Amino acid sequence: MNELFEPEIVAFVCTYCTYAGADLAGTSRLKYAPNVRIIRLPCTGRISPMFILKALQKGADGVLVSGCHPGDCHFTHGNYHARRRWMVFRALLEFMGIPSERVKFSWISAAEGGKFADLMNSVTEDIRKLGPFDQYKELIRETETPATF
Amino acid sequence: MTIQETYKTRAKELLSSGRVKMVVGYKAGSTPDRRRPHFIRTPEEADRLILDSACIANLSGYLITEGLLSDEKSVGIFLKPDGVRSLNILAAESQLNIEQIVVLGFDVNNNEITALKGEKAEDFSTLIESLKEHVPQTPGNPLLERIEAMNAKERFAFWEAEFSRCIKCYACRQACPMCYCRRCIVDCNQPQWVNTSSHTLGNFEWNIVRAFHLSGRCVGCGNCDRACPVNIPLRLINAKMAHEVLGAFDHFAGMSQTQEPVLASFKKDDSETFIL
Amino acid sequence: MAKIGVFICHCGENIGAKIDCNKLAATVGEHPGVAVSVEYKYFCSDPGQESVKKAIRDNNLTGVVVAACSPRMHEATFRKACAEAGLNPYMCEIANIREQCSWVHTDVDMATQKAADITRSMVEKVKRNNKLQPIEVPVTRRALVIGGGIAGIQAALDIANAGQEVVLVEREPSLGGHMAQLSETFPTLDCSQCIMTPRMVEAAQHPKIRLLTYAEIVHVDGYIGNFKVKVKMKARYVDMDSCTGCGDCITKCPQKKIESEFDCSIGMRTAIYTPFAQSVPNKPVIDKANCTYFKNGKCKICMRSCQINAINFDMQDEFIDLEVGAIVVATGFQVQNNAVYGEYGYGKYPDVITGLQFERLASASGPTSGKILRPSDGKEPETIVFIQCAGSRDPSKGVRYCSKICCMYTAKHAMLYAHKVHDGKSHVFYMDIRAAGKGYDEFTRRAIEEDEASYVRGRVSKVWQKMNKLMVRGVDTLLGKPVVIAADMVVLATAMVSQPDAKEFAKTIGIGYDEYGFFNEAHLKLRPVESSTAGIFLAGACQSPKDIPDSVAQASASASKVLALFSKQKLEREPVVASNNESTCAGCWGCVLACPYNAIEKKDILDRSGKVIKRVASVNPGLCQGCGTCVTFCRSNSLDLAGFTEKQIFAEVMGL
Repeated sequence: MNELFEPEIVAFVCTYCTYAGADLAGTSRLKYAPNVRIIRLPCTGRISPMFILKALQKGADGVLVSGCHPGDCHFTHGNYHARRRWMVFRALLEFMGIPSERVKFSWISAAEGGKFADLMNSVTEDIRKLGPFDQYKELIRETETPATF
Repeated sequence: MTIQETYKTRAKELLSSGRVKMVVGYKAGSTPDRRRPHFIRTPEEADRLILDSACIANLSGYLITEGLLSDEKSVGIFLKPDGVRSLNILAAESQLNIEQIVVLGFDVNNNEITALKGEKAEDFSTLIESLKEHVPQTPGNPLLERIEAMNAKERFAFWEAEFSRCIKCYACRQACPMCYCRRCIVDCNQPQWVNTSSHTLGNFEWNIVRAFHLSGRCVGCGNCDRACPVNIPLRLINAKMAHEVLGAFDHFAGMSQTQEPVLASFKKDDSETFIL
Repeated sequence: MAKIGVFICHCGENIGAKIDCNKLAATVGEHPGVAVSVEYKYFCSDPGQESVKKAIRDNNLTGVVVAACSPRMHEATFRKACAEAGLNPYMCEIANIREQCSWVHTDVDMATQKAADITRSMVEKVKRNNKLQPIEVPVTRRALVIGGGIAGIQAALDIANAGQEVVLVEREPSLGGHMAQLSETFPTLDCSQCIMTPRMVEAAQHPKIRLLTYAEIVHVDGYIGNFKVKVKMKARYVDMDSCTGCGDCITKCPQKKIESEFDCSIGMRTAIYTPFAQSVPNKPVIDKANCTYFKNGKCKICMRSCQINAINFDMQDEFIDLEVGAIVVATGFQVQNNAVYGEYGYGKYPDVITGLQFERLASASGPTSGKILRPSDGKEPETIVFIQCAGSRDPSKGVRYCSKICCMYTAKHAMLYAHKVHDGKSHVFYMDIRAAGKGYDEFTRRAIEEDEASYVRGRVSKVWQKMNKLMVRGVDTLLGKPVVIAADMVVLATAMVSQPDAKEFAKTIGIGYDEYGFFNEAHLKLRPVESSTAGIFLAGACQSPKDIPDSVAQASASASKVLALFSKQKLEREPVVASNNESTCAGCWGCVLACPYNAIEKKDILDRSGKVIKRVASVNPGLCQGCGTCVTFCRSNSLDLAGFTEKQIFAEVMGL
């Protein structure tokens, strides 16, 4: 029997909107897939593209980045800056062959517990369909052997 | 008079009049088709100056050599339009005072060298604007087109093969006028964002980070490409990113010395179709 | 060597039912660096907290992870408990295994696995936490209020009445602002000057208020609690100390035909003047541009007429340096230049006037002593057409927004006209009647029902002159018919716009502004009176169009914010702020641009001889709010954010 593939997903979220939205999903007792691990940051402006690379290095099959809707940022502009960086970084990853289906971005407000739960499910499902990120995992395995020139 | 002779005379004038303390140009390299930088301090040294269609390196990076401009004296430099754009970015990022720079402008197209009028960076702004207007819809590079036609898996495999050759010599960084950081992120080991061993994973990370840091700043001079000892087509990645920021934010790097860096600014109506 | 204590809370059944807490404690207990790993029913309870404190003391713990509910619930509780046990409170982190784990998952094994990942990740983070200290910023307990209209006066009085010092700066020669120009005020029709001038006098005489009129802000430096402000005192050519305000000089001045700004050009003034009779201070200034002496080098009649020699033509602008802890910006608005409405004939026909000009006509202290008379021939108009939204809600004229006050003042104008000219007929062209506010809708109904203003729903397309009349062509959209009205006067309800120099001013003091030049609040709903710069507050129409009650309310709100700031000697702030590694900073200033709070400055690094070696970014912890946008921008990784450092997040990810 083929066991269901359980993807590992890392989410980077801002504390004021998406983290609070995740808490709301909890207090509303919504149920969703347990595959996502959340890292809390003060603002999407703090979410560096390096975090995404490190999550992949750690073996994540998918990464989610989420914060306040435009205009709602607690720090007024953090998410506008983040949006530009994501736009650029996403294009770069795509060009490098890291599929954009594996690195997703969303806006979830503190009031959107339902959206958060739905997104957890849909992201998990999407990545499950894609399967494990074997190509990247192969690179990780290679680092465990000594480098050769 | 050939362009080379005209500019030789010009360089001598600049030096003998005391207008500049140095002219950065080209001289003969190790093989007949190669040129190396020539740092000319006296009119006599200008005799060895070479200016021909092989002078394609972007010399602007030499301007930010530690201490070169700190005496507030002027320096002359041979630059193609891409070099002038680099100069604008360096000024916009406060790495130099553009008032100190006298540009000796030229361009090379289809192995033809032409002189460009002007001596201040702003004298070339019309030219740079027209460059922006005439950016082709498709970059017209067969390899780039091939990569773009691939699916993600193939693309990953392509770059994996390319980056597996990378030896992390950082020649690309050394050659790039934009890589002026006192400490590169790759040299930061607490925490070590980029794996420094030459495993392909670290090579992937290094090249992704460098391309991200150059997004909206690369002028496509090709210094990195030429410097790479293992011939990774680095310029392709940067060209792709330049195309992205132009399309998404109408940003053409190096338009002027007051241009805002594309990743430190934003518009409230920036595109966000990819955000769920 | 790290000695981390992990405290796993069952939260009764809330966590315990879905997460195997014993297994979790055992798993995490094996993680390197974990000295204690225990579970308990309720760690937030008194005995629970005591057990955490005891564990810290007994094991000399270097860090604490509480795996429990969201940090938004009890982070403060457990940090306080740690502090009480002698551990720096910032060495405590919360692993959220309730809201984000036990409450949302059904499978015990998977939930326990996830809880272990979350907790281990937090252990890795806390190993790299730093002992932070709250940031203390000294507070200069003196406020600067910029703008001496009703909002500024209200804010200044509220702060001063609470016992704090205030410097009130007004750029015109007198306090008063636009409110002093008004005739009566809606919805009560009490005389504006009657309620305004006592406030002006109170502000001027208040022992805690230092009043600087005819003065402008040149430069603002510093940050919350510690602003340094340079003020230019424009030369008045009249010695404020000796002048008694007798007015002899004004009577003698030969230049009598200067259009009065206060009377909106329908009245005249002299070159040495006070803007209006009740000016505070009631001491004149010389308008250099129009003074005969300054133009021709001859005259000085005023000087000769002054019996106490208060006039000094050699006076120069002076600069004053102030140190203040908070700033209230109450710089007000302007009315839109109606030249943009060529079709209404403003500027071409003298009897097409603005609402503010009508206020001066209706004002008892105005150029006509309160009689409504046509500027062209001084006759009483028999018919007046009022055109609302003359500029507002009209993207083609650059004003997309509603100016908010025009519906009300137009109704008021129609009423005042009916009260002063009994058989006069008024027509009001309107788009919508927006009369939300206490007593407001009743007021507009009164204008229509009792004072018989004829309201026509529609726009005016053209105004032209025919014989002695102004012909107004518009449309009545309710009847679906074009209408033409022969009027004697046309009053335009002009849009409220920002001060012409608002954007420049915002840059000077370092606050944000919108596309129209109105200043931005920190949060439209939740922080409406704070600017995005800490310590700078907003009051009145400089933020958005407002009527008097709203301006006063916002001014009092600002004052209460200032007073809250002044309630302590020192300001204590969370130490979650950015800092820069000056040795690796390349000085590209991307961070300066990216910072939403102007918290990053350019700092010169000097050598021993005082020569600048290099310039680097320097974060002002008083201004930094800790978003970390600069850190992400920094290519050389020189910037970092306390509490969310690069090392911590790296460890958190790698610890998953």
